[in-house]
Amino acid sequence: MTKLLVAKEYLKNFYSKYEIYLWPVCKFIFAFAALIMINNKIGYMHRIESLAIVLVVALMCSFLPVGCVVVFSGVFVLLHLYTLSMECAIVAFMLMLVMMLLYFRFAPGDLVILLLTPMAFVLKIPYIMPLAMGLVGTPASVISVGCGTILYFFLNFINENNTTINAMEDEITAKFRYLIDGLIDNKAMVVTVAAFAVTLIIVYLIRRLSIDHSWTIAMVAGSLVNVMMLLIGDLMYDTNVSIIGIMVGSIISLLLAKVLQFFIFSVDYSRTERVQFEDDEYYYYVKAVPKLSVATPAKTVKKINTQKNQSTVNKTMPRTVNTVNSAARARTESTQSSGASHGAGASHGTGAAASRTVGAASAGSKSAGTVRTVNTVNNVANRTPQHGGERSSLNHKD
Amino acid sequence: MLNEDRIILMTHMASYEAHEGKKNVKVGNYFRGDYIGFQVLNSIISATIAFVIVFGMFIFYDFEVFMQDIYKMDLLEFAREVLTAYLVVTGGYVVITYIVYWRRYNKVKKSLKRYYSNLKKLSGIYEK
Repeated sequence: MTKLLVAKEYLKNFYSKYEIYLWPVCKFIFAFAALIMINNKIGYMHRIESLAIVLVVALMCSFLPVGCVVVFSGVFVLLHLYTLSMECAIVAFMLMLVMMLLYFRFAPGDLVILLLTPMAFVLKIPYIMPLAMGLVGTPASVISVGCGTILYFFLNFINENNTTINAMEDEITAKFRYLIDGLIDNKAMVVTVAAFAVTLIIVYLIRRLSIDHSWTIAMVAGSLVNVMMLLIGDLMYDTNVSIIGIMVGSIISLLLAKVLQFFIFSVDYSRTERVQFEDDEYYYYVKAVPKLSVATPAKTVKKINTQKNQSTVNKTMPRTVNTVNSAARARTESTQSSGASHGAGASHGTGAAASRTVGAASAGSKSAGTVRTVNTVNNVANRTPQHGGERSSLNHKD
Repeated sequence: MLNEDRIILMTHMASYEAHEGKKNVKVGNYFRGDYIGFQVLNSIISATIAFVIVFGMFIFYDFEVFMQDIYKMDLLEFAREVLTAYLVVTGGYVVITYIVYWRRYNKVKKSLKRYYSNLKKLSGIYEK
């Protein structure tokens, strides 16, 4: 566990250090994955299937806000559907427009979920969405996940029935009716939306409880409820879901949710503290759970310098080394001179401190600790004024 | 001489200004009534467009039947039903909008209040 926590800290430090480069890279990967999935799933327009176009669009998305990935993905979907049939594109556009107007106007930040949910469906792990959103989101996320689910099922319906749609060549009204029926009378979609909504709310409610391991309990309970609802839905409405698919998908989703928990909410319940106090207006019953965190061990590189390397140190840190030389010589001088016993004692101390400092400085570390040590040496050196004059002359001798 | 408290405060404030502060200052420039009124107006427009889309799809779904029945049906009654549905949908949506933006405005005001109090504190540190 400690190793994992250390790895997490490394990752966090790495991300915070290179965030300016990593964030566009993440957006690029997200956009690229989304467009590739769209092209693979509903690739009717061959012109936009080319890798060059996908790369260019993904590259554009990496410099634009995340919402643009969703917009470009929407455009790709509509272009593919338009190639199949204009009616499909119109119905899909209307569906997206209504979603945008009625919900995503309130929560533009949730727009990403509209794209992530169908992507999770394609990856066969859609059950991660209600779990993840229940853990990190609010009950309002039910609408985002629901919209994503509806969109996926609609596109899936078109994809599965493309030959039927193509066969209805000029029957615009019939085609339109067929698409609307496919959207409304999709029992599997209704069952999935209901199961996801209930799962998300259960996960949200349990993870907010003041009980130990609430997040783990929430995700396990959520997964069980989700599986149960999908199976009951299958029994009631004959939705033809794959039981093994649900089980495997749920287990993988559970594991992914656990990873999410590790990065967002890792606490040490064994050190939970319960305190009680009061002020003029209230009694407080506080439960404080400490976060699990470890400091990343600082790497120290120790070099054993040869005489040649010592000259390098002299070049890079002349002040420190001069101080050492002066301090060391001061000791010699003061030992030789009579009646300078106080100065000798001070110089001796300085010499010892300075020797330690050379070790740190020659390690080549750029850490603040090293800098601080160097300053200390200078300060100590400044406290031995009797060698100020000697320093230059002795260095000159070197 | 570096003042750690001042640096911490300034870092927090700079982070706030760079992220949520940008949006919050814009919202804070409005009076509550103006802000909520503007959002409600937006909602009415959005709900109207959405209603027209859904209604259009509903008509087009059974377009042939609708065209056959159009001469038989009581158009006034039909218009009244459509209007009632529109008012119910828009009214419901407006109520939700009002609640959401009322809460959001209060939250923003509270956050801005904290920000301005930090500004005062910072100015106090400078005066010391």
